[in-house]
Amino acid sequence: MKSRHAEPAWMRVVVAVAVKDLRIEFRTRARSFTMAGFVVLVGVLFNYSIDQTLVRPQEIASGLTWITLILSGLIGVGRTFTIEARDGAFEGLLLTPAPRDAIYLGKVIANFLLVYAIVLLTVGVFGIFFHLDYGNHPLALLLCLAAGTLGFVALATLFGALTASTSLGESLLPILLFPLLVPMVVYGASASGRLLAGRPITEVMGQMRMLTAFAVLALGAGAALFGQIVED
Amino acid sequence: MKGRTGWIGVALALAGVAMSLVTLWLVFFRVGTDFRQGIVQRIFYLHVPAAWVAFMAFGIVALASAVYLWLGDERADMAALSAAEGGMVFTAIVLTSGPLWGKIAWGTYWTWEPRLTLTLLLGFIYVGYMMVRRATESPERGKRFAAVVGIIGAINIPLIHMSVYWFRSLHPDPVVLKPDGPTLDADMLQTLLVGLVAFTLLFTGLMILRYRVERARHALDIREAT
Amino acid sequence: MLPAGRITTVLGPNGAGKSTLLRLLAGSLRPTAGSMSWEGKPLDTRSAQWRARLGVLSHQTHLYLPLTARENLAFHARMRGIETVDLNEALDKVGLSDRAHDRVEGFSRGMRQRLALARTLLHDPEVVLLDEPFTGLDARASRLLEGVLRGLRDGRRSVVLVTHALAEGLALADHLLILVRGRIALDTDAGALDPAGFAEEYHRVVDEAENPAESHR
Repeated sequence: MKSRHAEPAWMRVVVAVAVKDLRIEFRTRARSFTMAGFVVLVGVLFNYSIDQTLVRPQEIASGLTWITLILSGLIGVGRTFTIEARDGAFEGLLLTPAPRDAIYLGKVIANFLLVYAIVLLTVGVFGIFFHLDYGNHPLALLLCLAAGTLGFVALATLFGALTASTSLGESLLPILLFPLLVPMVVYGASASGRLLAGRPITEVMGQMRMLTAFAVLALGAGAALFGQIVED
Repeated sequence: MKGRTGWIGVALALAGVAMSLVTLWLVFFRVGTDFRQGIVQRIFYLHVPAAWVAFMAFGIVALASAVYLWLGDERADMAALSAAEGGMVFTAIVLTSGPLWGKIAWGTYWTWEPRLTLTLLLGFIYVGYMMVRRATESPERGKRFAAVVGIIGAINIPLIHMSVYWFRSLHPDPVVLKPDGPTLDADMLQTLLVGLVAFTLLFTGLMILRYRVERARHALDIREAT
Repeated sequence: MLPAGRITTVLGPNGAGKSTLLRLLAGSLRPTAGSMSWEGKPLDTRSAQWRARLGVLSHQTHLYLPLTARENLAFHARMRGIETVDLNEALDKVGLSDRAHDRVEGFSRGMRQRLALARTLLHDPEVVLLDEPFTGLDARASRLLEGVLRGLRDGRRSVVLVTHALAEGLALADHLLILVRGRIALDTDAGALDPAGFAEEYHRVVDEAENPAESHR
């Protein structure tokens, strides 16, 4: 019998890694519960940090949502590789011939679904807490948040893998990540802010394009460089 | 000091120091005072060259990082590290001179002026680059991590630039690189160009010397290990 | 250096470079100097081709605890592009077929190590690397592991076993290496060694290699 030298199919690795991560998350709920709790409690704190006789929540909800996305995302994505590190599971994964960029994209997909679910929760909870009016284009708003989430997750997954193997750990993640997130916050908060203010979609097309460009660039760079980070 | 690069480094650094002194002399004794902004405008001759060097240095960091990841050549990493340390110094000059000028010209230390903001973020990317290097058990891994930070930073800087520009611009309009030619007075332009050359030489010289130190350290590490 | 179709046991004191040797072979560490070759050709241990031929078992199980035994194997089969492999058979070989659908977090240390063994051999690797596989195993798991390892001696596989356990290491070995301070202090056929006096012999070799000046006197 000849040894099996099959090449793992790229797309199958992507899917298998994503399914594996989501299955583990579904069973342990290690990240989703803390993230969901975080979002609700941040909403409570925001409520008491806003003097509603001075500012209308509708006007600042956009910014709050993006900041909440980043902070709750940090909690979730930052832990991806800590979970993987248990019992050397990730090391075992790296001992297989599975292409590194496929592993990265699989993890990005799983993280995206997790973080985006939390973003949807944020939109719902803030909507109820602050009596927000999501206006005429709620779908455009969700789309713009999706593009932002994708860019965020693409960078955070890459740097999460990096910081997980440093002595500073997750505390290093914001230092590396935040400067790079400026374009996402600028275009994202502007787009969602205008949508919340009831402006027409045509006014946010430019920002949406830039958000998408940011996500695509982050994904490409992440897929190309992930191997350099996880290999010892 | 052995080897040719060493002497080149010393020569460039000395030339940089000499040119910097010439720049200072020009700034304080020769160049005319801007009639609108007054004396404070003279910071400009240090501020702009420092900013040029800070960003050029990051370009070197990113290029050398890419070469290091691609070829695994230690010398590329040493060059990247040397450029990063030099770049941080000039970023610090930009971030001190900018607000000082801003306090007098605009009445505030900090405005969300795009180029100043971009330089602040550049400074943080440099900080991340340096922190990552020291935070891994194996130095080789730290170098690779830093290279990734350098490359991603370089890819992102144009986007950050676009976004912060788009967000708001309060800064005086560019005065040198304009389509219809510079609007600066001839003596002001001259002083600025001398400053640019001076800081570039100074940075290059210092970078080469720093690179030599790093190489010597590397050689020593190898000798101790065997 | 590694004979095909046989088990090579690598012994040596702590810090001798045993694990480093394995990690180099496994491609999780890149060599700082020198090169490796395999079957006369230069070897890139970081290539997918090499990883496809390699099976690694260490004291870390490399398993995902929240997944079931079967899911763990299925995932690794995916990662290696060998979805056609019979997972039931693989589980059966290590005596875990009745626990196939239980999560690994409920498994004992011995069961986890057996599952890890099934994962290591899932793709029928040509080269098997074992890093202290006996650590923390109960008698049953130890016996099963020994049995499976003997079964690997089928003439077309190279097995490298790194261990502290002198007796088990020698019992399984066809070929024996003793590493001290990153250098080979002894390189011999295991048949030439007397199991009874081996512990003494081992300590003599290690002492000699650690204090070369004294032994010359």
